[in-house]
Amino acid sequence: MIEESRSRSLSDFTVELDVYSGPYEWLLALIMRDEVEIFEVPLRELVSLYLSNRDPERRDTLERDTDFAGSAAALVLLKSRTLSPAAEPEAEGDEGEALTPEQLAEKLARYLKIKRGAEHLRERFRENAGFHPSGHVLRARLGKLKINQGRLVGTARRAFSRLTEPPVRHLGPITVTLQDLADLIRSSLARGPVSYEELTRDMDRLNSAVAFAAALSLASEGHLKLSQSEPLGPLTFEVAESAS
Amino acid sequence: MTESARTMAASSRVEAILHVSPRPVTAATLRSTADLSDKELRAALSELETRYSPESSGIVLRNVAGGYQLATNPACAEAVERFREEARPAPLSSAAHEVLSCVLYLGPLTRGAVSAVRGVNSDAVVRNLLDRGLLAEVGTDQESPGSPALLAVTDDFLAATGAVSRDDFPALDSLVGPEELARVRERLGSADENTDGSAGEDTISEQSPESA
Repeated sequence: MIEESRSRSLSDFTVELDVYSGPYEWLLALIMRDEVEIFEVPLRELVSLYLSNRDPERRDTLERDTDFAGSAAALVLLKSRTLSPAAEPEAEGDEGEALTPEQLAEKLARYLKIKRGAEHLRERFRENAGFHPSGHVLRARLGKLKINQGRLVGTARRAFSRLTEPPVRHLGPITVTLQDLADLIRSSLARGPVSYEELTRDMDRLNSAVAFAAALSLASEGHLKLSQSEPLGPLTFEVAESAS
Repeated sequence: MTESARTMAASSRVEAILHVSPRPVTAATLRSTADLSDKELRAALSELETRYSPESSGIVLRNVAGGYQLATNPACAEAVERFREEARPAPLSSAAHEVLSCVLYLGPLTRGAVSAVRGVNSDAVVRNLLDRGLLAEVGTDQESPGSPALLAVTDDFLAATGAVSRDDFPALDSLVGPEELARVRERLGSADENTDGSAGEDTISEQSPESA
């Protein structure tokens, strides 16, 4: 999202924020590595800093402005996505539902307590930050290796867990089958070779995708020959010689 | 062996064990590995506390995460960090403190439940805290679809906050006074009444707690 080339002209732009102080390029890198929380970065302050440092007399002002606008827009997008409600409505139970004032007050009260707890924790972390344990990690000996079962299970779960399923709600109900499209291709081929573009001209994305899958299926069964004169060029279907 | 000499030897054994352990050592482990009775262990720890007094020693005895640990005195932290040529880890963000607070007080919780309490997606923050060893996945929520992992605070978290156990934190309900809660409810009530067309309705749209 934030390309390296975009910020090259900004290599001498440094920022002074509460959460970070240093080169702007490094700030972008730290944000992308999740080492600086995007929602901790005051974007308005960032823009003000850039404007206050902006020198209209520089030769590369236009390039710098463009680069900054690009990267700042990416940060705005990233921040807005980060601030979006969590995508686990089932786990949250009441997501999207209207709350009564009492329920909302209860929710806010609980959040207020959690926030106070967070402030208390911040103080505890600060008070205990200077302790360094005597820290002599013993080398594991053969037959004496102690495995922390909890950590092992956690690691295995992360390693083998399924990736999040992509959302498919935008596809709507699937009303076409591979067989339907295979029949359509067969009937079209009866009139001679036909291009994929021509075949799918009036189809939506779902039908086009299923038509392609049907063509691949027919080709693998030897009923159809696919030809393409160049990579990414027009795709033409014709009846395979063996089938005719 | 006189009683005094035996106590000295006991404290030396405890001291040696704590010295080589990178993690807090429980009293039970100290008792069994140093071959001590309850009384002897208490005496040994008491002697070590005196010997490693923060006022006079660069090493201190800590009672954290359910055990005992020898650590450097925070007053010497700057010199230690200069010697080790390593910076102290960056302080946690406000979001990270909130997530830890959620898990500490309401946990074990799933990522979704943490996000629900905070009103914003917290996955990135949770990932960072898992990497830092302050949170750990301790099981799964079998009643939720997909059996999401349950998160809990770790011993490293307790050590980093100087806590003996989870009970070593103020109760959640004591963190906000009843007057403050009443003010929140009052403000919500007045906001509801001031909303055009919504006065008198029994529901209002949900909003992020952070926006409140």
